[in-house]
Amino acid sequence: MSPSTIALSQRILARLMPPAQAEALLGDLLEECRLRVESPASATRWYWMQLVSSMPVLLWTSLRRGAWLITIVTAVASYIAAAAIELALGYSLTRMTTSESVRLVIVLLANVAALAPCGYVAASIRPGAARLLAFLMFATTCLMLATGSRAPLWFGGSLLILGPLATIAGAALSGRWRTRKPSSRRA
Amino acid sequence: MPRGDFLGSLEQIVMLAVMRLGTNAYGMTVRREIEERTGREISIGAVYATLERLEAKGYVSSFTGEPTAERGGRAKRHFEIEAAGHEALSASQNALKNMSEGLSRRWKRA
Repeated sequence: MSPSTIALSQRILARLMPPAQAEALLGDLLEECRLRVESPASATRWYWMQLVSSMPVLLWTSLRRGAWLITIVTAVASYIAAAAIELALGYSLTRMTTSESVRLVIVLLANVAALAPCGYVAASIRPGAARLLAFLMFATTCLMLATGSRAPLWFGGSLLILGPLATIAGAALSGRWRTRKPSSRRA
Repeated sequence: MPRGDFLGSLEQIVMLAVMRLGTNAYGMTVRREIEERTGREISIGAVYATLERLEAKGYVSSFTGEPTAERGGRAKRHFEIEAAGHEALSASQNALKNMSEGLSRRWKRA
């Protein structure tokens, strides 16, 4: 195999895979090329056929691997969906009472009821999105407390704990709250 | 095994190839083993993508070997099946076996 062919395929693979994996794959291709007893031309043809036919699947894997954008979009969309559900639930239920404390309890429960299914959906799409959603919920509640919201402290405190907990519970139900990290070691 | 997470057919084939090859399981040998045993042409990229997915699920693990001359000084990436992988593979194979039980006569007719 000519050095320019190897250099070109190295550049292509480096864009689609982590460096160590790209090197291993390239090594595999070269090793199998040497085992092929046909003419050098057919070995080169086989090499390019392998590389070209590998590209769609490697591209797709690369998109899935670098899925941080999808994770962020999923988390933010879930957060907006949870806020909309909470608003609709809270609005319809708080009309039934005039007591401020009862209204706050209803809003709190509406929050939990909205976050659990949104956590479930987010985790089903991306486990990282559910974690980000729980963090977003925690961060915005902290912000609400820090900026001196009119809501009483017990409400803010409860929301701070129950919001992320509801998200985690929903995500845990999907069975995708945690993903195992790939293990890699050197011989 | 997580709910609803049966192994796909390619995942099962790749895991069985890794199992068969034992300590000699790396990209090229896995690809060749699949081609020889199934007659199915498979790209090296598909093998790597499947192994990466299985590794992310914790079903296989990998380690880097020493670089060799015939590979242009590049190291092999060896794969081995983890306990969770054995369990998942066995569950998927059992599911298939249970689903196909008693259907052999229908297959013969077809």
